[in-house]
Amino acid sequence: MTADPNKLTKKLETGTPGILFCLDKRDDSSLIHCGCSDGKVYTFDLSEEKQAGKPMEGHTSYVTGVALAGKHLVSGSFDCSLIWWDLETGKPIRTIKDAHARWIRGVKASPDGSFVASVADDMVCRLWDPESGKLLRALQGHELQTPHHYPSMLYACAISSDSKLIATADRVGHIVVWEAESGRSLATLEAPVMYTWDPTQRRHSIGGIRSITFSRDNKLVAVGGIGKIGNIDHLDGPSRIEVFDWQAGERTHEFSHDKLKGLVETLAFGPDDAWLVASGGDHGGFIQIYDLKEKKAIKEEKAPMHVHDMLLSADGTSLCTVGHGRVATWELKEATA
Amino acid sequence: MLRAFQRILLCAAACGIWGIAAAAPAEDLLPADRPIPEVVDHYIDAELQKREIKPAAQASDNEVIRRITLDLAGRIPTVAEAQAYVQSSDPKKREQLVDRLLGLPDFALHHRNELDQLLAGNDRMEGSWRDYLLTACQENRPWDVMFREMMLSEEGQTSPGALGFLKSRAKDMDRMTGDTSSIFFGVDITCAKCHDHPLVSDWLQDHYFGMQSFFSRTYLTKANFVAESDEGDVKFKTTAGETKSAQLMFLTGTVVTEPAPPQRTDEEKKQRKEELAKLDEQKQPHPAPQYSRRAALVDLALQPGERDFFARAAVNRVWHRLFGWGLVNPVDQMHSGNPPMHPELIDWLARDFIEHGYDLKRLIRGLALSQAYSRSSIWLEGERPDRDLFAVANVKPLTPRQLGVSLDLASRNQAAMPVAGDDKWKDFITGRESRAGRFTAWVEVPNEDFQVSVTEALYFSNNAEIVNEFLSSANDRLMSQLTGQEDREAALQAAAWNTLSRPFDAEELQLFKNYLAQREDNLPAAWQQVLWAVLTSPEFRFNH
Amino acid sequence: MANRRANFCGSEDHLIHRRGFLGAAAAGAFAANMGVLNVLQSPTLASELKRQQKHVILLWLAGGASQLETWDPKPGHDNGGPFRAIETNVPGVHISELLPKMAQRMHTTCLIRSLNTRNADHGGGAELMERGRRDEPTVKYPDLGAIIARELGRPDSEVPDYVSMYTTSEGRRKGSAGFLGARYAPMFLDKELMPANIRRLEQISDLDHQQRGELRQMLGEKFARGRGSHSVDSHNGAYKRVRGLMASEKLFDVSLEPQKYRDAYGPTQFGEQTLVARRLIEAGVPFVKVARGWWDSHGQNFETHLELVTELDHVMSTLIDDLEARGLLEHTLIITLGEFGRTPRINPSLGRDHFASAWSASLTGCGIKGGAVWGKSSPDGMTVVDGEVGAGELFATIFQALGIDHKKDYFLGSRPIPLTNPGIEPIRDVLA
Repeated sequence: MTADPNKLTKKLETGTPGILFCLDKRDDSSLIHCGCSDGKVYTFDLSEEKQAGKPMEGHTSYVTGVALAGKHLVSGSFDCSLIWWDLETGKPIRTIKDAHARWIRGVKASPDGSFVASVADDMVCRLWDPESGKLLRALQGHELQTPHHYPSMLYACAISSDSKLIATADRVGHIVVWEAESGRSLATLEAPVMYTWDPTQRRHSIGGIRSITFSRDNKLVAVGGIGKIGNIDHLDGPSRIEVFDWQAGERTHEFSHDKLKGLVETLAFGPDDAWLVASGGDHGGFIQIYDLKEKKAIKEEKAPMHVHDMLLSADGTSLCTVGHGRVATWELKEATA
Repeated sequence: MLRAFQRILLCAAACGIWGIAAAAPAEDLLPADRPIPEVVDHYIDAELQKREIKPAAQASDNEVIRRITLDLAGRIPTVAEAQAYVQSSDPKKREQLVDRLLGLPDFALHHRNELDQLLAGNDRMEGSWRDYLLTACQENRPWDVMFREMMLSEEGQTSPGALGFLKSRAKDMDRMTGDTSSIFFGVDITCAKCHDHPLVSDWLQDHYFGMQSFFSRTYLTKANFVAESDEGDVKFKTTAGETKSAQLMFLTGTVVTEPAPPQRTDEEKKQRKEELAKLDEQKQPHPAPQYSRRAALVDLALQPGERDFFARAAVNRVWHRLFGWGLVNPVDQMHSGNPPMHPELIDWLARDFIEHGYDLKRLIRGLALSQAYSRSSIWLEGERPDRDLFAVANVKPLTPRQLGVSLDLASRNQAAMPVAGDDKWKDFITGRESRAGRFTAWVEVPNEDFQVSVTEALYFSNNAEIVNEFLSSANDRLMSQLTGQEDREAALQAAAWNTLSRPFDAEELQLFKNYLAQREDNLPAAWQQVLWAVLTSPEFRFNH
Repeated sequence: MANRRANFCGSEDHLIHRRGFLGAAAAGAFAANMGVLNVLQSPTLASELKRQQKHVILLWLAGGASQLETWDPKPGHDNGGPFRAIETNVPGVHISELLPKMAQRMHTTCLIRSLNTRNADHGGGAELMERGRRDEPTVKYPDLGAIIARELGRPDSEVPDYVSMYTTSEGRRKGSAGFLGARYAPMFLDKELMPANIRRLEQISDLDHQQRGELRQMLGEKFARGRGSHSVDSHNGAYKRVRGLMASEKLFDVSLEPQKYRDAYGPTQFGEQTLVARRLIEAGVPFVKVARGWWDSHGQNFETHLELVTELDHVMSTLIDDLEARGLLEHTLIITLGEFGRTPRINPSLGRDHFASAWSASLTGCGIKGGAVWGKSSPDGMTVVDGEVGAGELFATIFQALGIDHKKDYFLGSRPIPLTNPGIEPIRDVLA
């Protein structure tokens, strides 16, 4: 069963309470765990027709990051706290109340289970021991304020497949690649087009890098956001992706889509890094798949909702997207008889 | 807070019937063949005599020519014009002056600007609008014809300029109804709070919504054409809570019966919608309806028995323009609760206006020839009489364009300029008028109880444009004639005639001579300050 | 209590002579016509007057700020958004966590959470909230600044009485004196922080500038005699004020302000303009409007409010502290207000749209009962459940806080027009 992005088809679609900002799932499981705007973490079983969603309560604001780590699920929220959940009982087993000084934007778990990373608007990426919850390291490489003197946001982080590297990206388009073990900054990259500052008409900013991911071979870093916007009252700008060879410090790909407007909220590389999936939206949603060798779009589709997060299976044949009031799953393969 | 709806009823109630005070019977009016100025003075003076009020004396010749030239040609007189008039002893010189000015291209330009301000105000209009108005003014097109053009011109490949009136209001039905009623009929039907009478019956709602009904099917297409649907009604809720469909009712209470709108199936409606959408894509106008409510309004409003609103409103506005105060004030409160002080006069003028084909130029001419119009604006003895009596003239602020053109002429070396009325004059004055448009940014448009803002004063005090344009010593400028002139008094009087259309008096001469004597060290600068002081004085700024 | 000048109604039919408002102290210096006694002749009177003088700083949140991300948070509800509510130094009062500094200063401020103004388009909403009522076809109402300029300004003032700053181009609105006339129109700053035409041109000496003004004035006064025209008088009046206004140029020059205050207000344009506002009212300008555009977050409401509310929190707190330190807070009314609020419902771009059915405004300082909260919106923020008020009530409250009788009449021709429409009452619960 090989993945074929040309055969992208929607499988399942279901309405959900609130806005789902993040998800995690094991590759071999049909359960997905999603962070929701109502402060709950919902578990959906994708093998079931009807999706009720089992809620876990504990956060007091938007849950913006969830990551499976060992036996537990770790979630992060705008309430600045991280919660470790026992998935059997559905109860929090650990709550770190002020894990960050400001709003948490994402949580990711290293594949080897050695740490959990969280990013927040205090512009710090914190690494935590998944077992003990101890703070291992704090990575500081992003400015607290934008060049226009406003508080900045640290939206996205990614961990390499070998758990050795971390990448973080912020509001003004600044990207840092870190060595996880030492906390050393290995490289910095810039994608300033993702940040629009309007000095004359509306005098504030919009945008920022909202998604970041390593290629499977860890050589490339892809970031997603939105291109330059004229009217910053709306997400009225081309969706935008930039890919970098982070070691060489060079940009390898640039994709800007005028018709599918809005934020690229989530990215994933396909098997062998042959293609890249990007999803996001404005009032609506989109999925775009790019052939990285040809540097062309394979798929440019509307999604049923503004997508906030997605997970591509290891073999690249199935995709799960969550977002504004909906879950949608997709297949990227030949339809089996 | 009173809802808009309730306020309408309050006002309407107090207005009693929507009718105007019944026009005086024809037998009581002066005969129709009398000249306009004679009639004006007859009625104005009659009222003054009744109250034993002696009107102000006639303004001086200098004041008269300045006032008339500003009102008819939109500018101050040239030195040659002013001196010729003052020095002439021809008993008919006033009539000759008026006729000469009405024959200049200046008249059409200024008349166009006045109509533009009336009809468009501060709205941003397409260029074709002003072009339409200018042509109409140049042809002295009758006011009823212009009304018809503004209401009913057909859309085509290029949209007729006349439709600008509707276009700028097409997205706001209340405004379209209210403005048409106010501007063309002198009736603000959304007036409120001017009366304290209690609410009356549904009859009055019928009037308001009746007027709106004439416009309710009008809309702007996606391709920006004016269009009118052939169906749709205005519905409203009565004070009793009942929902009614409005009839087509004019201000007089007359109801228009219209044919039933076409009945369409859902399929037909869908098809029609698609057809219209296609026209939008092709940038084509929508088809005209079989029956047009707007046309019904225009036809009715100009019929005998109905057209008094139209005629009286126009007469009152033209009167207001020349006298600075209407026969009825405010000019859009022409109803029985607000009667004019000279009812026979407005009746006579309205009748005359109708009978002579709604000729605006003729009306302007007639008013400008009256004695009432040419009274002095100075009143020194005791309290100034009520403006309604027209015993003394009103001071009127110059419009931004009048001011712009006048500043230019006043600061020019007029020997180096075409003579008013000769073949080079038209291009010259058209250019000046066009350039004067920029003053709309700094100078307010005249309105009731007009006041000058500090923005204007600062602009004239500190902006380089004023110095560079009006106070420069280039050969085409007045300044070049003043500095270096040995005979200071002659220079001062030249400046006075250029700017104020009169000589300085002894006091003023002394003031300026003293000032110049102090400034021997830098006479060019001193002359600039003298010229500046005159150009920024209220005598220049106002029409008096 | 300082007496107000008798109202000059501007109508020829209703000529009311001005009275010197210091009564007996000014006996013998009465003006018989349009001139007004110059109070500044007496230094003690002048400083006394300055201290009693009231001012308004209107922080205009252009585009419509979200009440849910500022003064009326709804945490725990679907409509509440991600930002939480925090306690303030007034027990029982919670505001958005985006306003931590204001949370420590709620004892100076009262909130009105129950505005229902029904006008959710920028033009109509702005007109309504600028004037306290919508214009009628025959009546163009003056906006708040013009009224305050009229009520609290002085006729011979050397400083402008109404300054309005609106530097972002979106939705830019100039302000209008309506039927009060251009005398009360604002000194309007848009692209520059310095008013236009306020500096003497280099090519003219100061002496010449002054002397030609005097020449002009002599001609002007001579002409005005017997004309009976308030328009002519306003013309002379406008020019009389020119030199004084030119002298106020330095008020707009922030470089004259000690660096520590410039740093305190922060490096943003809004901070700088608010500092200018403080300088202006300190010099006696009765009304300054600082518009902060543009809050219209149809998309990305939370990100935008994160930026803008953080700035508002900082700038407003700095202003309050600054005024308090100068003894001016009790004489200054600070208002935060926009044309409407934002929808409780969050759209898929994570934005909020226009909403006028249940939104908030704040009043700080002069005449206000600090810490008071008037009105309640429903838990979902969709409706007002208690204490519904409109623009009129808000304006009546503002006038009363400043010691201005909201029922007094202006005259348009001979028609009396009260400052607020009949039947409107101020919100007494928030008045000191």
